[in-house]
Amino acid sequence: MSAFVSISLVYLAIYTLSAWSLNLQYGYAGIINFGWIVFQSIGAYVAATTALGSPTSGGFQTYIFGARLGFPLPLIMGTLAGAALALLLGLIILTRRIRPDFQAIIMLVVAIIAAEVVSTNTALFNGANGLSNVPQPFNGVMHLSYNNYQWFFVAFSFALCIIVYFGLEWICRSSWGRALRAMREDDILASHVGINVQALRIVVFVIGGAIAGFSGALLVEFLGTWSPDAWSFVESFVVFVSVYVGGRANNRGAIIGAFLVPVVFGTMPSFLPEFGYPGLSANLEWLVIAALWLTTFYLRPAGILPEGRFIARRTRAREQAPVMPPIAKQGSVA
Amino acid sequence: MLAPSIDRPSSMTAQPALLAVRDLTVDYGGVRAVGGITLHVGRGEIVGLIGPNGAGKSSALNAISGDVPASGGTVVLNGRDVTRLAAYRRSRLGLGRTFQTAKVFEGLTVYEGLVTAVRGASGASLWQTIIGRGRRLEEEQAGERAWRMLDQAGLDHIADLFGRELSGGQRRFVDLTLALIKEPQMLVLDEPMVGVAPSLVPRLLNQLRSVAAQGTGILIVEHALEVVAALCDRVVVMAAGQVIAQGTYDEIAADTEVRRAYLS
Repeated sequence: MSAFVSISLVYLAIYTLSAWSLNLQYGYAGIINFGWIVFQSIGAYVAATTALGSPTSGGFQTYIFGARLGFPLPLIMGTLAGAALALLLGLIILTRRIRPDFQAIIMLVVAIIAAEVVSTNTALFNGANGLSNVPQPFNGVMHLSYNNYQWFFVAFSFALCIIVYFGLEWICRSSWGRALRAMREDDILASHVGINVQALRIVVFVIGGAIAGFSGALLVEFLGTWSPDAWSFVESFVVFVSVYVGGRANNRGAIIGAFLVPVVFGTMPSFLPEFGYPGLSANLEWLVIAALWLTTFYLRPAGILPEGRFIARRTRAREQAPVMPPIAKQGSVA
Repeated sequence: MLAPSIDRPSSMTAQPALLAVRDLTVDYGGVRAVGGITLHVGRGEIVGLIGPNGAGKSSALNAISGDVPASGGTVVLNGRDVTRLAAYRRSRLGLGRTFQTAKVFEGLTVYEGLVTAVRGASGASLWQTIIGRGRRLEEEQAGERAWRMLDQAGLDHIADLFGRELSGGQRRFVDLTLALIKEPQMLVLDEPMVGVAPSLVPRLLNQLRSVAAQGTGILIVEHALEVVAALCDRVVVMAAGQVIAQGTYDEIAADTEVRRAYLS
């Protein structure tokens, strides 16, 4: 039971990071990234290969970028890989020439092709078998029991989430975050107030990609394995539903979405007794998630915690100006 | 028969034009919407661009503001060739515009939209957000400016409304204010009177006059000829993608070519 709770909490942390990443790209900036899972996946693969060591040392796995880097370098490498892939794909896909709905479809197709390529080409990341035996951070030095290590990882991932949360809140509430929302609402109008919409799109896409890569790196450090089964293109939609259910452009809503959608409702069907044909109850996960999405659309179209309304406050000088009559100070000329 | 078009190059030579458009063409696929028009707007001058539907007025405006690419000709703003520049670069060089259907940031409050417009490029820079010194001061000044614009119009009560919650007239006001708040040198307006209550039209006209009095050039596409007559120093008439006449309102009203274009 303890293991179940701790594993669920780590998943909550990972899915929260995932939802924040997509919330930044979609909720704030309006970029429909149907290929989101690819960015998490490359983060996981790169973190795995940079922790596993060189593949030529007689191992049973074949992969690229092999290195044995100490913690926290694999996490950083995974983050950078997500950012680099986002920069590359962003420059190719997020151009003015392609309409946003087509951009979304292209992202989806990229995700499908990427999974196909990685599964069939064993030289990249060991093909369909995926990578395994990825060393867990600190596990060699701390000598914790299995259960205690799980709880250590819970604390570790929650601490990282708190750091990411405050960073995200700070930039989302800044003028930069406001510019993102302006671009989401109307990119033509945004460009006419002087915002370089193309550049802003790429920047936010890269930051979202970095967080996605980071979430993947953290996940692979926890699981120790990563294979194409873990990142089928539909996984992007789980994160999308999390953002929708929690509330777009609301980072606290994304936590709720990550808790409700993948962690609670996504895992619930696996507790059902086996019935029907084999695998039916497991596949009910998708039905439950779809139902949750539709229910949200009907009951709370803006999500459980909608994007708030900014209430403007006048600075003290302006507030007082109409109320207080001008009083001549002592010694003043007037 | 070719009626001589009325042009007054003397006003162009008197001082360099703020906006100079030369042989501008706009093509959509194989369709030529604007077929090589030449016009200019001086500092503090209000120029009307009129013509029947489909004359190419909006296309010309969009090419001037950078929303559609020009397929030929040049657009010179304040002595600088901006023909190949993106819309945001033209905005930074002092070109403001409004839209035929008033555009506002639907999911931002009016105040947020106005502050975003004042901050412009600096507000959208992540680098300046992270390390920028004086960021707070810039935000405060932008906020004060937004309040001043709202106070002047007596609309401070709409500051916290989302763009999507505004009435038609309020949308017009916000659309225009988003363009005006950075005090552009050149203002391009696409049918700004549509949807404005008749009682408010004189107030809007006065506002535009006072903007022009401060040296801003205004190019305005407008269907309501009484507005054009009341507001514009000069009128450019377009038909079928061409400029067919230029002059004062009285001059072009007497022009036979113009009458034929409007009647056919």
